[in-house]
Order: sequence, then C-alpha cells, then structure tokens
Amino acid sequence: MDAGTLHNQIGAVQLHICSNDSGFLRKFRNSSLQCISKGFALDVKLLSKGICNSKHGKVRVTYTSLCHASVVDPALRTSLSANDYNQKPSIESSLILIRHGESLWNEKNLFTGCVDVPLTKRGIEEAIEAGKRISNIPVDIIYTSALIRAQMTAMLAMTQHRRKKVPIITHDESEQAKAWSQIFSDETNKQSIPVITAWQLNERMYGELQGLNKKETAERYGKEKVHDWRRSYDIPPPNGESLEMCSQRAVAYFREKIEPQLQSGKNVMVAAHGNSLRSIIMYLDKLTSQEVINLELSTGVPLLYIYKDTKFIKRGSPVGPTEAGVYAYTKG
Amino acid sequence: MASAVFHQTIGNLLSQQHLHNSGFHQEFGNVSVNLISKGFKVYTGLSISRKGGYSSGKRNFSVVQGSASQTSVVDPLSTPSNDSKNGFQKKSSEAALILIRHGESLWNEKNLFTGCVDVPLTKKGVEEAIEAGKRISNIPVDMIYTSSLIRAQMTAMLAMTQHRRRKVPIIMHNESEQARAWSQIFSEDTMRQSIPVITAWQLNERMYGELQGLNKQETADRFGKEKVHEWRRSYDIPPPNGESLEMCAERAVAYFKDQIEPQLCSGKHVMIAAHGNSLRSIIMYLDKLTSQEVISLELSTGIPMLYIFKEGRFIRKGSPAGPTEAGVYAYTRRLAQYRQKLDEMLH
Repeated sequence: MDAGTLHNQIGAVQLHICSNDSGFLRKFRNSSLQCISKGFALDVKLLSKGICNSKHGKVRVTYTSLCHASVVDPALRTSLSANDYNQKPSIESSLILIRHGESLWNEKNLFTGCVDVPLTKRGIEEAIEAGKRISNIPVDIIYTSALIRAQMTAMLAMTQHRRKKVPIITHDESEQAKAWSQIFSDETNKQSIPVITAWQLNERMYGELQGLNKKETAERYGKEKVHDWRRSYDIPPPNGESLEMCSQRAVAYFREKIEPQLQSGKNVMVAAHGNSLRSIIMYLDKLTSQEVINLELSTGVPLLYIYKDTKFIKRGSPVGPTEAGVYAYTKG
Repeated sequence: MASAVFHQTIGNLLSQQHLHNSGFHQEFGNVSVNLISKGFKVYTGLSISRKGGYSSGKRNFSVVQGSASQTSVVDPLSTPSNDSKNGFQKKSSEAALILIRHGESLWNEKNLFTGCVDVPLTKKGVEEAIEAGKRISNIPVDMIYTSSLIRAQMTAMLAMTQHRRRKVPIIMHNESEQARAWSQIFSEDTMRQSIPVITAWQLNERMYGELQGLNKQETADRFGKEKVHEWRRSYDIPPPNGESLEMCAERAVAYFKDQIEPQLCSGKHVMIAAHGNSLRSIIMYLDKLTSQEVISLELSTGIPMLYIFKEGRFIRKGSPAGPTEAGVYAYTRRLAQYRQKLDEMLH
C-alpha cells in the first residue's frame, strides 16, 4: 500500500470530522486509526513528552505494548488546522496513587478518620520506599488530602525522585496566603511541581468513632454494628460518612479537577487514604460496590495507571510485587 | 526528720495563696523554691520521662533536667487544695520552651530565595529533623506551634517520632466549620494522650516579596549587590513587596505574646518549629536583644534551643545534648565582643 493512497484515505476520513457531534467524531476517529493500523507496521517512536500538541489538529498515535503501531505522515500536518476538526489527540499520561503508611493511631489501633494524625517512623520509611519505586515516573502535578500523613508521604516520596523538579505546595486559603506564596522567576516556576491539597481526598470521616479504640467501640456499640459501619457500602457511623458518601466527594473531585489534568497530558500523583483511594479506583476500574468493599489497598505501595484516550489502564505497582500484592481482593 | 518541717513550710506557704495578689504570691513562690533547693536534696523522682508526671490539670512544681539548671523539688502533697481557686494567678512553675529551626529545604539546596514559598525538606532536612528529635526526646511537650509551611510542620512531626513519651501530636484544623467538625475526637482518654499542633502563618518565614524564587546570583545581577545585601541584612529595609525583618518580628512576636506565652504561663511545655527569621524575632524578644544584635544572630538549623520559662522570665538553656551554646546561638566575633563589653558594663 503506497503513501499516496494512505494520504487520500486519511484525508478523506478527516474531511468529515468537522461536525461537532462527539459520537460522530469518535466513530470516524476509530475508523481512521483502523485504516492506518491495517496498512502499515511502521514504528514511530513517540515519547510522552511533546506528543500532545493540542494546538494542531493532528492525528497522533501512541505506541504501547498493547496496541498496534501506526504511522503519522508528517506531510499531513500542514494540511490540518485547528479549524478542520475538534478531535482530541491521543495522549498518555501516568497516574500514580499512593496510600500513606502507618500513622501513630494505626499503631495504637484507634479509629482515625479525619483526625490529623502524623506518620510513625515506619510510615516515614514506607513513604521513602514508595518514592524509590516511582523515582523514574514523571510527575507534573501532585494532589494530596488536607491531612499531614498524606502530605508527608508525598513530600518524603518526592525526595527520592530522580527528576530534580521541586514540589511546591500551593496556598489559596486567603488572599494573603496566595500573595505571600508567589514565585517571581519563570525559570523557577518551570522547575516546580504544584502540590494541591484538597479535603475531598481526605480519609472517610468516621464521626463519633474518631479516637475510639476498636475494642472500646465493639463494647460500646456491639460487634455487628461496628462491622456494618466498617465494611458496608452505605451505612455511616454516627455523624460520619459511609463509604458511599466518601466516594461521592472523592470521585467528584477526581473527575472535576484531576482528570482534566490527565487529559491535557499532565502526569499526576495522588497521595491519599484507604477509602478515598478505593473510591477513585472504583471509578477507574468500574468496580461494583460489592467489589470495592473487598478491595484492600496496600500502604506505601504505589499503584500506577496509564491514562490514555480517556481510558484508565491499570499497570500494577512499579518495581514492586505482583498486582495481587498491591491490589488484593479478600477471599470473599 | 525535717520532712515534717518541710511539709509544714510548704503547707504554710500554700495557705498564703488565698491572697489573690500575684506579686505577693510570686515572692513566696520564690522563697519556697529556694528553701527547698537549699535545704533538701530530696528528690521525689519526678523525671520528665515518667508517664503521668506532667498532667496539666494538677498544680505541680515541675522539674526540668537541663544540663545547666538547678533542680528543684516537687512535693506531691503540696498539690491538693488550690486547683480551682487561683485560676488567673501565675503559679511558680517552670515550663519548657523548645525552638527548632527547620533544616535544609529543596530551594536551599538550589540557592533560591524562599521566603513564604512552601518548599519541602530535602533528604538532609529530613535527617536534621530526626536528629533534632533525638535531642529533645526527653523534654516534655504539651503543645506544638508551627508555621503554615510544610518544611516546619514536617520538622515538628519528624522530630516527634523520636519522642520518648507516647503522646500523639494532632494537627488542629480551623479553616472552616467542616474542617473543625470533621477533625473532632470522641474519646476523653485519647484526647489526654494528644499534643495539639497549631499552625500559624504568623510564624512563617519572612516574606521575601519579589525575590521569592530568584537565585542569589540572578538577584545580585538584577538589583545590584549592595541593595541585596541591604535587604538581607538590614533590620528595616524590605525587599520589593516583601517584609523587612522588623515587619516579620512584629507579627511573630505579637503572636508569641498573644498565644504562646499564656500557655507557658499556665505551665504547658511548648515546642515551636519555625524559620530563621521568625525564630530570631522571638529570640530577640526572649533575650531582649537590640536590632543590631538580632541581625547578627544565626540560628543553626535542626538544632533545638531550649528555654525555661519561669516566673515570667525566659532563661536560655542552650541546646539539649548538643554543642556549646555558642554553636547554636552564634554571634559574629565583633558582636560577641560588643556583647561582652555590655555585660561587663552591667556588672
């Protein structure tokens, strides 16, 4: 198959993509990709940097171990402009999820929830260990909860990062906080990784159980009730959140704030808590409420996803144990 | 033997406390302490690390074992009657005040002006914090104050992982009604085992205005060496849109007097984890330094500084288990000589 025909084919397909109907667009985009991939097996090496030039309406294809390699003819670029169609280029960005390690109340077996308890020595080591595992994965922006154990986990992990960009925590709790934290060098800004703290990524709020020890609570309320609160999807402890409620605010935040970053090609790290992360994973992996209840996320072991074409592909744990170790379902 | 007399003396002194005159009380407070230390070497075994020794509800005479201070004795029998009565009155108690300047941050490493930009610690900064924690592991801590910047907060939390006493630091949240409600603790027992951590922008590093993020070379090129030297080393000349040391001192010391000193007055042991300029400002207040002296004051990073607050006065104790005071609290030679002359003049 010669290049001329290819051009015609791609050209033909793309002329139709002026419509703003996203369904229409998607269909044509898929077929254009298929045309290309059948015809050629040329390998184009596309790194994640610089792929996503959203100004030009290029058809970009990325090369991963799972999809066919396809070709983009550079001559096409000139004939396309942003006016021709609204197609989104195919982008890959990485999403790292890290659950913080042992906190001082984990050690004491107390229900923590949103009480702002810091890490133990062990939790610190877990964070540093997690950092070593992701030291080569690009990070452009970091999201954490409003709790110190997640923030410290992120900052400790990043001390191990190979790339020398500097995480900078953004402050906008007041006008003064915003003004006072301003950076006045473009060069320095470019070398910065913004860190955004959000209560929506906090641990599930445990209401009147916060600060109680697990034994004490079982005695006060009865074992079954406590089991209900801890392990059901939608039964909240007194004045607390159910897992469902936690999911709602965590996933909403993810979709509203974090996903657009991934869409624009930014590599994201999220350092948060058992329940807020499960909730997000529930969304990423389309789990049922039954499945999410049984999901245990290992502490301090980072979980990697690749975001591509609006889909989340689970990649397990970098340089770590098998997926089962990180992402373990209980037997039930 | 004299223990009966001892008890009686304390009993007498304490019964005087019905007088609400704090000056009067203070005088007697002094006397009682002197009597004890001169007359007796009875040591009731109240060491700092003993659990339950420092309950803020009781009116103990607390004992702090600094390498340079005198030990005093607390008689447990002296505690009973006075709890509810003299609420506002200063009792003759000693409270520890620990100051820790955070260690190396990622921009220190890159030689960039940091100010209030929220930059985290390097590996070295993390180690410095842990090391600092080891040095203070036996000094009681009832409350912690930090700035709103992560490098100070992390320093405090890392240091406390080394603390011998098993109380748990808990960061207070007041930024909204929800934040407050969500961080509530529902067990009395757990609350008693907690050390509140209060974050305050007033303890932040001096805000460096338009120099924030610039490197020191770049800045010297842009503004000229002398100007930069002025901003960095004068007392009252601020960088463009930034704070002078004077301005920083104003808000830091005001906060200290307003929020922290009352805690010390009530006998709480306090730790402050903050920054070079906010801490110097506070030291300026504690040690009654002149603006000339404070400019020349360099506070070592990651090395804790201990003060004892006693009867309204701050007594500098240097660095626990660390190098000599000079290492922690170094005057330049010229200033040291100036200070010495001053001391000689006064005595």
